Amino acid sequence: MANSATNSPQTALDLLVLTVLGRRGPLHGYGIANAIEDLSDEALRIDEGSLYPALHRMEEAGWITASWTVTENKRRARIYQMTRAGKKQLAAESDRWTNFSAGVARVLRHA
Amino acid sequence: MSWFSKLKNAVHSKPLDNELADEMSDHLARRAAALREQGWSAADAQQEASRRFGNVTLLREQSREIRPSAILETTFQDLRYAWRGMLKSPAFALTAILSLALAVGANTAIYSIVDAALLRPLPVPEPGRLFILSNPPIEQPGGPAGTENEVFSYPLYQQFRSAAGDSARFALFSLANRIEVQMPDRNAPIEKAICGYVSGDAFDILKVPPALGRVFSSEEDRVPWGAPYLVISYDYWQRRFHGDPRVLGQRVQIGRHAYSIVGVARQGFFGVEPGKFVDIWMPAMMYSKASFANSGWNWFRIIGRLGPGVTLTSLHARLQPVFSAHEDEVVKSYPTMPPSIQKLFRAQPLHVRPGAIGASHFQSTFARPLWIVLGVAAGILLIACANVASLLLARATARSAEMAMRISLGAGRSRLIRQLLTESLLLSTIAGALGWAFARLSVPILVGALSTETDPVRFALSPGFFGADSRVLLFCAAVSTVAAVFFGLLPAWQSSGAQPMRELHGIRVASGRLRMGRLFVAIQVAFSFTLIIAGASFLFSLRNLLNVDTGFNPHNVSVIHISTDLSDITQKPELNVFQDELQRRAEALPGVQSAAISQGALFYGNYWSSQVILPGKPLPNREEPAMGVSPRYFYMMHIPLLAGREFEQRDRDYHHTGPPPTAVDDAPALEYFGNEDPDKGPRPTIVNQALARRYFGTDNAVGKMFQTPDGDKLMSHEIIGVVGNTSYGSLRDGPEPIMYGVVRGSSYVAMYVRSTLDLGSVVKMVERETESIGHGTRIREITTLDTLIGNTLLREKLLAGIGGVFAFLGLLLAAIGLFGLLNYSVTRRTKEIGIRAALGARPPALVFLVLKDMFSMIAAGLVTGLLGSLALMTAVRSLLFGIRPLDPLVMITAAAVFLTAALVAGGLPASRAASIDPMTALRHE
Repeated sequence: MANSATNSPQTALDLLVLTVLGRRGPLHGYGIANAIEDLSDEALRIDEGSLYPALHRMEEAGWITASWTVTENKRRARIYQMTRAGKKQLAAESDRWTNFSAGVARVLRHA
Repeated sequence: MSWFSKLKNAVHSKPLDNELADEMSDHLARRAAALREQGWSAADAQQEASRRFGNVTLLREQSREIRPSAILETTFQDLRYAWRGMLKSPAFALTAILSLALAVGANTAIYSIVDAALLRPLPVPEPGRLFILSNPPIEQPGGPAGTENEVFSYPLYQQFRSAAGDSARFALFSLANRIEVQMPDRNAPIEKAICGYVSGDAFDILKVPPALGRVFSSEEDRVPWGAPYLVISYDYWQRRFHGDPRVLGQRVQIGRHAYSIVGVARQGFFGVEPGKFVDIWMPAMMYSKASFANSGWNWFRIIGRLGPGVTLTSLHARLQPVFSAHEDEVVKSYPTMPPSIQKLFRAQPLHVRPGAIGASHFQSTFARPLWIVLGVAAGILLIACANVASLLLARATARSAEMAMRISLGAGRSRLIRQLLTESLLLSTIAGALGWAFARLSVPILVGALSTETDPVRFALSPGFFGADSRVLLFCAAVSTVAAVFFGLLPAWQSSGAQPMRELHGIRVASGRLRMGRLFVAIQVAFSFTLIIAGASFLFSLRNLLNVDTGFNPHNVSVIHISTDLSDITQKPELNVFQDELQRRAEALPGVQSAAISQGALFYGNYWSSQVILPGKPLPNREEPAMGVSPRYFYMMHIPLLAGREFEQRDRDYHHTGPPPTAVDDAPALEYFGNEDPDKGPRPTIVNQALARRYFGTDNAVGKMFQTPDGDKLMSHEIIGVVGNTSYGSLRDGPEPIMYGVVRGSSYVAMYVRSTLDLGSVVKMVERETESIGHGTRIREITTLDTLIGNTLLREKLLAGIGGVFAFLGLLLAAIGLFGLLNYSVTRRTKEIGIRAALGARPPALVFLVLKDMFSMIAAGLVTGLLGSLALMTAVRSLLFGIRPLDPLVMITAAAVFLTAALVAGGLPASRAASIDPMTALRHE
């Protein structure tokens, strides 16, 4: 059960979002989308819109919070921030992810 | 977000939607700006931003669905939308709601009776630990199927108790009866109350505490006639004494005993017979003294509570040997019992059944009819659902452009289905509420139809219009919801699958819809045709029963039960005089043609029965009923005297030396002719034609002799007359043998008075005579022979009445459905019909075209319905009378009724088709 959840694309996206928020601090959705592309050297290109349902789901799960702020150029933007629960989730998920990908890599090497 | 703001969100749906929209458009704007900085043109940047983002509406919907508050919010939105939609097409909404409300109401009404009578446990703690004892009936060869025996004798109860030890406790409950009670005040009127005898420990065993005062205890079980106390029901306390606490110590006269009220039982406890509310409980010890030692005197049910760890099976293992030994004793007490019957007695099993729902006459009589009626009601619900489904389908066609628009704007299919289902739920909720009201109003009427004056039926249905009867309410809600899903899902699936491009281009994709509509019509036709056949069968059964030749003339006969204070034991000669006087005076009344007396009334169901033993022939394995009647009884009843003569006073000239009559206080005496005095020669007896034929092979049996068992002796009878066959217990039985003896004086008799005057006037005249006769003679019950016969047909009347009404409802709904679909089909084929008309088709041909369409729609349904009704009719065969499963009369009637309705339903669209003007039709699209 935990494994199948771990390896779903949804979890991968969650992991990316949490990592971005952990490294760069509070960001709006557009910023997160750009960051994911930048960090992965555009290797991971997500459908930008699909980020939002993910963000809202994580918000409901309590891993991130959001608030409306007015940004430098006087625009309203919704800023996301990681919570303590989010940090825990990130730690747990990244461990699991590392193990998983290491496992996959081993298999590929010895195949 | 606090709960409050979530709730606010839900009620005012703008903010969340706006937030989502704002956030996404913010993203799009930023992306477009970034692209412009990379040198894209403004328009291209916009487009590329959108492309990269994906389907905004769909994503917004997805985001919304993630929020729990949004689900609520969406529902509110959908509800508002659905409500507006309903207001926009009130005719659709009204038809749908009304047909559903009728169906839900019918189901709820029937279910509330089924629940109260057959499903709901007695209102006592741990009803699951209760058990009830019974044994199967010993049936007469060729006789009607009997019902399970549930009454036992006091000696057997004592044996059960000692055999069970600690493993179970046994409570006695006599069958509740309507009796007369009188407060001791001078001139207090005589009142009727439902009364039952219980053992002293019964309340403790059932765990029913007092609401006031005390309930009985084992103290009341010690001495016969030693406990003149009463416990009354809470309901009776409120009704009769207005909840006055001074009721404790109130003296009440019942029969020959004076009692005092010692307590009120807990609110809601009505006894152990669903269908009856006991007003007054009397200690079993106050029953006839002779009953306590007589193991043949079965007068109470045994309902008990299992001890800890004891199961029904383990209790049965302890009780069966006791019961078998008892049955052995029974066999020994009938020296003339043939071996075949002895074997049946010795093999009698004792049933230890779960007792949670109690036991009642109502249950055994009405269980099957009620389940059948509930099944029929479910059929009505299906028809109504199919009807609403096809209405929704038709409406979906009207809204297909709207759906296509929404789909192309990015609405997901599940979202659309949810919205359409919300509409269905709104419809069904309104219909459910209406149906609930309809059920609450009709249940008392239904219960009333099952009641008779002497046997009033009452259920623990919560009072008031919105009585919190949670089980029934739940049922109603569940039925409505299931209905909504049933009728809403298919149309919702169908219309949410609209193909936007084709719809928006005006291409009709309605053929699938028509196909599904045909399916719904077929369902409706099948069920309604089944219902019509069922209704017709029940109606024809009732008619057949009402047309049964009873063998006597039941019209214009008043039946008056009269009691006197003379003693049945010590004043027999006086009772004989009293009885003759009563008959003589009644016969002399103006406007009275004839009068006669019998012991026990016809169609009351209780007869003494006895073997007819012919010297030199094997012992018969059956018993024939016997009835005591007065002189001129056959003349009064218009029963033909085929040979010999009627009884005369002198035929009664025998000493009465038999046991005291089994009448207890108010139960009508059931006494056979009494013991023979050997010096007087054989007893004069009249038999009916069926008895003469069965035993003597001839109608002219006058002068023939036979014997009946009398304890360990035999009593001789000489046949002095042969009369025509009559029905006496049930109209279904046909001409069964019966023997008559001359009635002896009894303190409780049924007098029949034939007069063209109405019941009230006859009773008034008879009352004057009883008063002047003295000895405390008075009228106890009044009714007519027609009413008594009618009361034996309550089940059949229920089935015929409800069956008829439901068949009509089903037909109406099916006709509406048929009309709707044909009308739609004509609209769709306007162009085709127009072309045909332009090519010279005459109106009759066009009418035929539509009707052919209709017949192709209903043919499959009719065949299915026919098969369904065959199955149904086979299942309810025992409730029918004079009807075969494939009765041609029933089939032809049902088919004629259905086709008439179909022609009416199809006629309107057909005439519309015939009047289509080719020019208009061709310009139509």
